[in-house]
Amino acid sequence: MAVSVVEATTLRTRIPPVRNPWPRRKRKAKEAFRYAVIVALCLVVLFPVYWMVLSTFQPEKYTLTYPPPLWFRGFNTSAISSLFSQQPIASWLFHSFIVSAVTVVITVVLAVPGAYLLSRLRFRGSGAFGFLLLFTQLMPGAMIIVPELEWYRTLHWTNNLFTLGLLYAAFNVPLGCWILKSSFDTVPNEVIDACYVDGCTQVGSIRRILIPLSRAGLVAVVIVAFFGSWNDYLFASAFLTNRSLYTAGLGIATFISQQNVQLFQLMAAGVVFSLLPVILYVSVQRHVARGLTAGAVK
Amino acid sequence: MAATEALVIDSPEAKPVRRASRGNSFGRQAGLRSNLHLKLLAPILVFEGLFVVYPIIRGVILAFQQTNYGKTSWVGLANFRQMIHDPIFWASVRTTFEFTLAMVVVWLSLGLGVALLTNWAFKGRSLVRGILAIPWAIPDVPTVLTFTIMLDPNFGILNRIASWIPGVHHQIQWLTAPNLAFIAIITMVAWKGFPFYSLVILSSLQAIPDDLYEAAKVDGAGAFQRFRSITFPSIVPTLSLLAVLAFIFSFQQFTLIYLSTGGGPGQDTSTIAILIYNQAFQYFNYNYASAMAAVGLLLAVFGTVLFVVIERRVIRQRYLEGGLS
Repeated sequence: MAVSVVEATTLRTRIPPVRNPWPRRKRKAKEAFRYAVIVALCLVVLFPVYWMVLSTFQPEKYTLTYPPPLWFRGFNTSAISSLFSQQPIASWLFHSFIVSAVTVVITVVLAVPGAYLLSRLRFRGSGAFGFLLLFTQLMPGAMIIVPELEWYRTLHWTNNLFTLGLLYAAFNVPLGCWILKSSFDTVPNEVIDACYVDGCTQVGSIRRILIPLSRAGLVAVVIVAFFGSWNDYLFASAFLTNRSLYTAGLGIATFISQQNVQLFQLMAAGVVFSLLPVILYVSVQRHVARGLTAGAVK
Repeated sequence: MAATEALVIDSPEAKPVRRASRGNSFGRQAGLRSNLHLKLLAPILVFEGLFVVYPIIRGVILAFQQTNYGKTSWVGLANFRQMIHDPIFWASVRTTFEFTLAMVVVWLSLGLGVALLTNWAFKGRSLVRGILAIPWAIPDVPTVLTFTIMLDPNFGILNRIASWIPGVHHQIQWLTAPNLAFIAIITMVAWKGFPFYSLVILSSLQAIPDDLYEAAKVDGAGAFQRFRSITFPSIVPTLSLLAVLAFIFSFQQFTLIYLSTGGGPGQDTSTIAILIYNQAFQYFNYNYASAMAAVGLLLAVFGTVLFVVIERRVIRQRYLEGGLS
């Protein structure tokens, strides 16, 4: 629906306006100007990313000179290889991956019933339920970290990747519910009714109709949960004190205060750590951009 | 009704017949009669209760206690009294206020600017939108690394760019000079977060019917006038929702600030989140940190309520508009 509106809009703008006192030349100039601004904006926005990549692959002798060269003076991958050989980055990345996997699975499993509750059922306390979810989602992590840590210590759950994943899931389930709810909302009631007529139960209608028809929403939930746990530093820094269990975000952050880590290794770590989220984002961006934003502003 | 039953009775599965014949086929009404919602609610409530609600309650209790040498005792409002007389706390309240206000303004204006700029049928627009959203996908820690390196006073690229400006000679200490550190943080947080705002604003721009612009053009309205009387009023609801979200998200911001300045220089960039973390994990004043967290929680509740109120209004307005068109 919305897509067709967009297409219509874009088509419309190509048609010259009804009364155009100025011939094409002025419009062309205006377009060129707009293009120029857009290109400049993209360059500025991409610059930090470019700089990270440049500092990683620039030959070492150039990275610490002042003024730093703006372009590649060569290309070497020694930063990456020395990073992997001198730092436990591989195991840190693996830890991040485990934690993220736990987060994603739990979030999806709990977001489906939550979204169904928000989208299709009206029950006593549904307003309070929605508010609880929203509050959990909007609550700053730093406000809860102290009691959460005490609670985890009582349970002997600190220094444990699985329980850390559970914690991230708890913070991502609410957003997951909202995203999936907006996806469930788009499924017409008639389809569900047809399913009932064919003899399926409500749970059956979730499994056979709503989930298959909300694939984009599910992907968005997976992405959000993955980003949420892959990105975290706050909780990991408090809950993982055992260096051999560090997640990549936490481990790389410790590089900042370490004198013996070379600058190009630092940047290489940044590139390696950003790679997975960026690839994920680029591969699904077109399909889930709407789902992601819908989740925040329902 | 009868027809539905007849249809269902023919189906080979017996169980669903009962369910279908029990009431209307609409899920919403069926939900009233079954206790399905309880079964679906239970796991989420248990999970969130265990990991979020219980710790919140515990945190509030901590705020009224004091632990000395392993002994925990009730101290009433002592922690809060200490807080009220603590200039560092008030400094961080002020910093938080300035920071959140700055982020709301910067995020919304950047988001609006980028959305207006890209809301136009040009070649490669999906590529541009993809590029402009990349900062969103870069995690916090690499963002901090990159900005720290770029802002390094000795070999950072930004000082090289700054040296092109006539009159700038000395090496600027971006992250350790009082006001510059604040500006540097805002720039970094803005870079990381703006794609979200521009995407949401863009989708709300695209929902404005084109006829309005056509009509305005026919009436001889200029570009600015069209913006003022069509574009802006149509996106005000979205903007106000985003303003609340920007407030909450900047209030939550921790990693980018903590890893780049640690709250310094002095207390210049120490928001409440940073202060709580430092109190808890540097000075191990868990109870004092909890008292400050309790205040932060109240603010978060306030933000959430504000969000709900504005959202209700937005939905009502959309509903009314839908009814008119």
